[in-house]
This record gives sequence, C-alpha cells and structure tokens, in this order.
Amino acid sequence: MGRSYIVDEAVEKYLGELQTPPGSCVTGLLTGQSSPQRDFVVLAVQTPHRESEGPAKASTGGSPLDDIDVEWVTEHARQVSRMLPGGLSILGLFLVTPPELSKDAQNTLKRLIFAVDKYITKGRLWELTEEDVTDRVTLHICSITKKAVCRTFDVKDPKSSAKPADWKYQTSVLSSWPMLTCSVELDVHIPVNESASNNTEKCIQDGFRKWAKQIEAGHCLINGKQAFDDSEFISGQKKNPKITQRQTLPARILVSDEHPEVDERSSAQVQVCSGSARVRGVVHCRAYIHNNKPKARQAAQAIKRDIINTVSCRVEMFLEDLLISEGSHKGPCSGRQALPRRVFVPAPCSGLSLCDYMFPDESTGDVAERLKEMLDWDIPETDIDISLETSHLFCSEVTDSHSSDSSEHVTSEVETPKIQKAPQYYAGVAVAAAVALLATATSLLYFNE
Amino acid sequence: MNCDIVHSEDCNIIFRVKGILEFVCLLDDSNDAQCTISKTFQGLSSKVSSKNLVFTVSNSAVLIWPNNCFQSSMDSLTDTSSCGDILKYIEADNSESKKSSKKKDRKNSGPTVVNMKLLFEVTEPAGNEAPNLYRMVGQQHFARMPLPMDCILYVTSNESLANACNGLVEALSKQLSDMEEVVIRSRKGSSLLVPQPFHFQLPEPTGHTTVIYPAGVPDSQLQGVREDLHKKFELPGDRPCLRRANAFRFPDEAYKDGYLRNPHIHLNPPNIDDAKLYLVQGVYSYHHYMQDRVNDDGWGCAYRSLQTIFSWFQQQGYVEMAVPTHTQIQQALVDVGDKEPHFFGSRQWIGSFEVQAVLNQLLGVTSKIMFVSHGSELATKGRELANHFQTEGTPIMIGGGVLAHTILGVAWSEITGQIRFLILDPHYTGGEDLQIIIDKGWCGWKGPEFWDQNAYYNLCLPQRFKTI
Repeated sequence: MGRSYIVDEAVEKYLGELQTPPGSCVTGLLTGQSSPQRDFVVLAVQTPHRESEGPAKASTGGSPLDDIDVEWVTEHARQVSRMLPGGLSILGLFLVTPPELSKDAQNTLKRLIFAVDKYITKGRLWELTEEDVTDRVTLHICSITKKAVCRTFDVKDPKSSAKPADWKYQTSVLSSWPMLTCSVELDVHIPVNESASNNTEKCIQDGFRKWAKQIEAGHCLINGKQAFDDSEFISGQKKNPKITQRQTLPARILVSDEHPEVDERSSAQVQVCSGSARVRGVVHCRAYIHNNKPKARQAAQAIKRDIINTVSCRVEMFLEDLLISEGSHKGPCSGRQALPRRVFVPAPCSGLSLCDYMFPDESTGDVAERLKEMLDWDIPETDIDISLETSHLFCSEVTDSHSSDSSEHVTSEVETPKIQKAPQYYAGVAVAAAVALLATATSLLYFNE
Repeated sequence: MNCDIVHSEDCNIIFRVKGILEFVCLLDDSNDAQCTISKTFQGLSSKVSSKNLVFTVSNSAVLIWPNNCFQSSMDSLTDTSSCGDILKYIEADNSESKKSSKKKDRKNSGPTVVNMKLLFEVTEPAGNEAPNLYRMVGQQHFARMPLPMDCILYVTSNESLANACNGLVEALSKQLSDMEEVVIRSRKGSSLLVPQPFHFQLPEPTGHTTVIYPAGVPDSQLQGVREDLHKKFELPGDRPCLRRANAFRFPDEAYKDGYLRNPHIHLNPPNIDDAKLYLVQGVYSYHHYMQDRVNDDGWGCAYRSLQTIFSWFQQQGYVEMAVPTHTQIQQALVDVGDKEPHFFGSRQWIGSFEVQAVLNQLLGVTSKIMFVSHGSELATKGRELANHFQTEGTPIMIGGGVLAHTILGVAWSEITGQIRFLILDPHYTGGEDLQIIIDKGWCGWKGPEFWDQNAYYNLCLPQRFKTI
C-alpha cells in the first residue's frame, strides 16, 4: 500500500527535456503538496551548476554519484523552499544517472533525501502534527532508457527502507486549486541577551516561537467560515473542468495572547537584557490547497504555516546577511532596519505564484537573476509583483549606500519598466512617505525615552 | 478608585468577557518607569478600542467584531439583534446537565451567563508596510506580564446586543485604567505585580462591582484599600465584604475542591404554623466521614463539624487559612496545652470545649458554650438559637450522647414555641452526591425528638470578630 503521486504534465515535460552530460548525474527537487490520501507534484527543478567549483574532483576514480555535492543540493533545496508559498513544500528529489549507476542510485537518493529534509527543517518554528505526511519521494531516472523508478522514504525514521509508490502524470493538476491569501500585521518584542550559548540570532529566533505558537493556535476563517475541523473544505467553486480560473479566497486569523504556562504568575517576568529587538509590519501571505476533498483544517494549516515561514525566513535571511556585513564592525547599533520584503512571481507554465525576498538595496533585476539561477526561469522584471508589501526604507538601485540605518531615501522605488503603474505609484509613495516619516519620528521618540 | 459598578436588579443575562492582554515594556534606569508603564497601558487601551478586537462566544461559533460596525460571523446576528438572540447559538455544556438533579435546578434560576473570550484579528491591517526590525542596544529590564482581563455586564434579553458589546469594550478600557493604577501603586523597582480583577455582589444600590487587587499581596496587607472602599460603598465596618474569598461566584463556576456548598438550600422548609426561619448566613462546605482519604468512621464526627465551621470562616473572608486536617486539629490542642502530646495521631474523640479551643488557637475566634442537662431541653432554646443565627449566623457544633452534629439553623415559632432544627450530619460516609444527602436526610430538618432526651449536650456557638 504505497503512496500515490499525481504529477503535473509540466513536470513530465521538464524531466524529459533535461540535458544530462553523458556519464554524469543530475539531481533536482520535486515540489508539491501532500495530503493523507495522495500527493501532488507540481514543479521539478534541477540543482543548478555550482559556479565556484574548485579544481575538478571528478576524475579521482570515484563514481559520479560520490561527486554529488550534498551541501549544494541541500542549500539549493533550502533556497527553493523559501520561494514556495504555503501548502507547497519540497516533496522529494529526482536523480538522473547512466544505466551502470542505477543500482547505487537508491542509496544516494536516500542519503540526499534525509540530508535535505534535515537542512530545510532547521529553524522551522512550527511543529509537525500527526496528520503530516513524512514520506518523501525519490525518483530515479535512467538517462538512456528514460525509465523512472519511484520510491518513498519516511524521513521520520532513519532506518526506513524504500517503499514503492505510484507515479502518475495528469494534465493541469493545480490549475483549479484555490489560493488563500491574507496580510498579517505583527508586532513582536524580543529581549536580547548575548551570552556564550546564546547569540543574537538565536535570541531573536526563540523570541518568535511564542508568536508562532499563537498563530498556530489561532482561529482561521476562510471566506468567512471558521476552518478548524475535518469537515470538507468547500471552496465554493462549482466543479466545472472547463473553467480553469483559480479562486482567491481571503483568510482571516484571530489570535489570543493566552499562554497557559505563564498565565498563572503573580508578577511580571522581568529579564535583564543587553538589548531588545522589535519586529513590526505587515507580511503578505499565500497558500494553495488541492481540490481533491481537502479538509478545512489542512487549508487553515497551510496559510498559517506560510505566515510563520515568511516571517522566520526573512528574519533568518536578514541575520545571515548581518553576520556577513557586520563581522568587522564593533557591534550592533540601535536603529531601524528594513527586513527583506516579499515579492511574488508567476511560474511560467502553471500560473502558480512563487515568491522571493528582496533586500533594501536590491532591485527586481536582482530577483530575476536569482530566479534564473535557482529555478532556471526567465521571468521578465515586469512580471515580478512588488506591490503587495511596501517599504519606505528601500532605495532604488542607485548609487551608494549599504548604510541601511542612516537616512531614509524617500525616492520612489519605481524603475522604468513598470511604466503603466508609475503615476499612481508616485502619488501613493509620496503620501505614504509622509506617513512613514511621522511614524519613524514617533517610534524613535518612543525608543529613546 | 479602581472599580466600577453595574446595577443588576432585573437583568437575566450576564455577559462575561475574559482574556489575556500581554503587557510588555522596557524599563531602564534612566527613564521614568511610571511614564513607561502608563504609555504601555495606553497602547493596550488603543488595542482594545481598535477594530481588530474580536469577541468569541464560548460553546458557539459566534464571533463578534464590536468595534468594526458590529460585524459578526453569523448572518442573523446584526447590529439590530438583541442580547437574547445570542442564546440560541450556544450549545449547553453537556457535563453540567448530566450532574444536576431536579432539585438543584429548581433552586438555581439565576441569570444565564454568556462567556466570551478576547481575541485579536491580525489580518486586514490598515497598511502594508513590510516589517522592519528595530533594535535597542543598552542594558534594559524587559518586563512582560499577562493581564487577566475579566469584565462583566448585566443585561436584559431585549437590550441591543451591539450596545452591550460597546458596554463591554468600555468596561475593558476602564479595567485597564484601574489595573494601571494598581500596577503603579504596587510597583517595587522593576518588580511589577499582576493586577487581578475580583467581582463582588454588594448590597443594592451598589450592586455588582469589580475591584483590582495586586496578585501575591495577602488580604491582610490590603486593609487600607478595603477601608476606603467600605467607606465609598457604605458597607458595614465590622465584617468582610471585599476580601478575595468574598468574590461573587458565578452560576456556572463549579468549586474545584470537590466539597458541596450549602446543601441546605435544596431543602423545603418545615411546615410549622407561624414559624420563622433563622439560618446560617453565607457559605460553608459540607465536611463528613471518610473525606480527604481519612477513615475517621466512628470517631471523627466532631472534627468534621469543626471543619465545617472553619470552612465558614474561610469562605466569609475572615481568614486565608486552609481547613485543618484531623492531625492539625490535634496538634493545635497539644500546642495550647489542652491535650498531652500522645493525643496527636490518636483516634480520640473531641467535644465542644475542644472545638472552642481549636477555633481560638487557629483562628482567634471566640465561642460561647451553651449547656443543656437533658436533650429534651433543646426544644426550649428556640430564642437563643434564633438570636445566634440572626446576629452571628455561624454554624453551631453540638456534642452529646455519643454523637456530634452541626446545627445550621432553626425554624421557630415565637408564639407556639414549636421548633425544628436544620442538621448537617458529619456521620455520612458516602461520596459528594447531593441527591442522596438530601433524600436520606444527611442534611435535613429534624424535630426535638432527634436528640437523646436524657443525655446532656454542649453547644459551641462561634462568634464573629470585627474585621473587614
């Protein structure tokens, strides 16, 4: 009784068109959505070529399988998983090998799938539940015969053995999947106490755990109805296969400040700290849910996890970046810094919306470059939607400054390509900028008292 | 003052909204702590008045946005709905209905409590500014505490639901401001105490009032606060009204310790012509054989009666001490010199004099002793007993023959002299089953023939002491 994978024909096409240099191996990711009954694979992405290759190790006499850069595969997986909206995740890996390496392919895939899962779940702020599927798929393709063998491993069990699974291609798997959206406001205060065991990064990540628990425990309303149980989640769309229009459903999240373990205290919890951090702003979130009798609870979980992921991910990225750039400075300083903001891009064939994160000193050009590198997609910069999250600390791609905490450049972020949007955008920015200045002034005052 | 008032004469629904608001602030040595605390409370007040506030009605699917033009999750609940309309959405709590007996329901026809919880919507924000990280470097005290909000509103079922919700929002704001006062007043350096709300049902015209007390500060240290409030509400100056133990118990709140309270209220009064009832005032717990895993069958009846009396003083707010165990009672008697040390841990009986001694030793309570040489004389003690229940209102321990009992009241006719005694019997060995206790007369009205007509009896009549 193995798992069943329903795979979009776009993936079939992609895998069929893969160029495999003779005698070598190609690895890649398989992304999609799992549900207790079956799994859906909607996107395949080859592991990009690593440019900073040292002296070629290939010809040491070991098999090409041993040359697979596990670190690079897992890093690519992490980057891609950050680009996935809610509901979608890395479901597994594919490996293309020449026929003579086929018998060792399973071992390699097992090694890789466990490494990938371990790496991408590090720092995750939400917990798996019993209903989460922990099977991951491995697809081995012979480069000559093109024959594909599909197996699954349970990543919860390091001793798990390969189980057979079904791999079926289907047209337009996710064209009618509803998309849940919402914008979530957050205001999280975190004490920072640097010590030998606890660096700033860990403090901040830990500080978000409580917030993440609140979101997980919160009420979720989708299209006005509470979504909390195993009842069938009806998107309201009549099942007409001819209509491939995707429904967009607004989600609302209600949280409580309750925290049973601490609520019994009789006095405030006072911590002496060497500093504090506050993250405040609005994040835009999206999640997809399959339309094969999904449960309401699964839909709610998908959007909630996206909310948590997008926040933890951009904080993680910011802190990684900080570590690199602040290494030589004398230490952190007070002030306000913009976290990378989320931008959305439509996938070339399926209309699926993926996302990326743009740092204050970046432009849509940088995003397009990254998409090309990670996903091998050619997306025109105009297709990159940067309007869902705005920011007034972002400069245009101009001249100077990596000095992100000094003066704000109140220039518009519009680059010439976005011609049709420019006029309203300028106006909007001008007004918003005035408001932002006021907000900054007030918040700095608050902190300086 | 840190309390507010609700008039409750005709209301048949109580809206109660509870929830936690997280209080977070940075205290450092340079800033003015009071100012920072006030600002934080102001922030919470805005939060409560914002359109993100949501009330969820317990045991129902109803969600209400009171500050957002009264949105609700139910199409049929709109801004023109009345308070009573909300009741049909609430599922009765099944466990409660199974436990209640017919008699119990008949007596409890109080108002219906509609419990709500506080939630905040985090979606549909006003703007879409992407998150920024604000960093403050420098030593600070990061203070965080959960504020246990608990506001009530008495309404009638045909009042406007939207108005009631506005009333609750106002009550929340007012409570925050009362809490601010208490937090500032009880602050010591960077140590902040959690402000806890207590609801009291005071005599009309005051009615229901909510007072905020700092957590962890014993009643004995809040004397000054209570004195001011007693003056303000014109409460008697000799008995506790605003101690934490005096807090109003809502109809739907069960006692967590498992003891039955006031089983006598489920009884029908005896049918005597021209008789008046003189009963125990306030609340006591029924203590009897075999409770607390102590097998005192055959020797512990007076101890149990003493426990019932002790529970009365505790629940009327005279003391904050827990009801003593048999060994603690024995220890008190040894301490006071009334018994030799070997008495401790024994199964020796005690009588009215020992009860009087223990009440004095542990509670500082004095008691009057009444003696009758024959049980038949008790029928003539109507006036004294009636007076006791009118002025003191405490349960009476009676020992004689070989038994001890608790007298909770008398039905006495001044004209005919006829008398009945309301008895709580500590010899009951079963579980806390109200039905059995009432049906089998373990708590019941007895005539003068109940007493051993030839034995002598001593009665211990505990006296209240003056305190608030």
